[in-house]
Amino acid sequence: MAEVQVKEDSGKGGKVRSKKQSTRVDMTPMVDLGFLLITFFMFTTTFSKPNVMDLGLPAKPKDKNQKPPDTEIKLSNSISIIIGKDNKIFYHQQDQQGLNDQTLMETNFDREGIRKVIEQAKANAADKDLFTVIIKPTDDAVYKNFVDILDEMAITKNERYGVTDIKPWELAIYKKKVGEQ
Amino acid sequence: MTAMCDVAFLLLTFFILTTQFKKPDVEQIKPPSSISEKLLPDASLMTINVTPNGVFYFQPVENAAERTQVLDNMGKKYGVTFSTPEKVAFSKVQAIGVPMSQLKSYLNLPEEKQKDFKATEGIPMDSTNKQLIDWVQQSLAVNPNYKLAIKGDVTTKYPKVKSLFEGLRDIDFLKFWLITSQEGKN
Repeated sequence: MAEVQVKEDSGKGGKVRSKKQSTRVDMTPMVDLGFLLITFFMFTTTFSKPNVMDLGLPAKPKDKNQKPPDTEIKLSNSISIIIGKDNKIFYHQQDQQGLNDQTLMETNFDREGIRKVIEQAKANAADKDLFTVIIKPTDDAVYKNFVDILDEMAITKNERYGVTDIKPWELAIYKKKVGEQ
Repeated sequence: MTAMCDVAFLLLTFFILTTQFKKPDVEQIKPPSSISEKLLPDASLMTINVTPNGVFYFQPVENAAERTQVLDNMGKKYGVTFSTPEKVAFSKVQAIGVPMSQLKSYLNLPEEKQKDFKATEGIPMDSTNKQLIDWVQQSLAVNPNYKLAIKGDVTTKYPKVKSLFEGLRDIDFLKFWLITSQEGKN
């Protein structure tokens, strides 16, 4: 490695030569530095790209008078998730008449919390293929909660879900629950 | 030793050439975590940053020629004309966090000052003034293949994000990405 080939002395000249110096160069520090840089660049390339998740929104109806398609979903086939303040999360499977303090249940974002709830509701659904999760973030929710729920949808492999505004009657019960009213 | 050294330096050259350094962020934004393992593709991407305070930044596509076109379109729409130095400054800018009325003075700032600039109001995005949506729309007018990524902070209030989503629905731009960090990394 990096040695200079020194021509053999032909022996003719009678010049006095100084003692031959070794031409080997110690390459260890250079190689060390090389590997250090490799490690550095390897780490920076792999981790600089952020992850993304897809989000598709439903199109808005073009014509104001055009009624949106009848999307009434059977209550037993759906679950409404209300994202509240301070990372609180509520769920119910009721309509306006059935919803009250008792039927609006609270859970949390843990593995044992909302994921279990969704899985159970799905298992009890009459038609599992049509099981729909309706996500209703309140104005108190933060972006993280919203992403967490979308993430939960990916984990539980629920492809049928919708994000919509909270209904006034749900909001009233929710406010009661968190003690704002 | 020689062979190893050769390979090592070959790798080194490769990594040096392929690395793209992350540009410094305008403002610290910590994206929420998710299980998604999909990586952000870098093909003509525009990014909307939402800070914890709900301030919007718009990051146009990298391509300088197309950027200038976007600026022209926006200028036309808001009745602002930009000089050549301003256009050059715009093609270099990292992200915009000012309303159209202040964009001209922002672009005239020296580069170091632009870096230190902290937006107080960001790009307006409410029911009456949807400049952010206009940025997206004008970019799409230049090239309809642009993709949009939204980067929000963990503590960003949901109504801010909702207004953005609603605005995007208004212009029928329905597919985009949310930037997240890998679960377990923070």
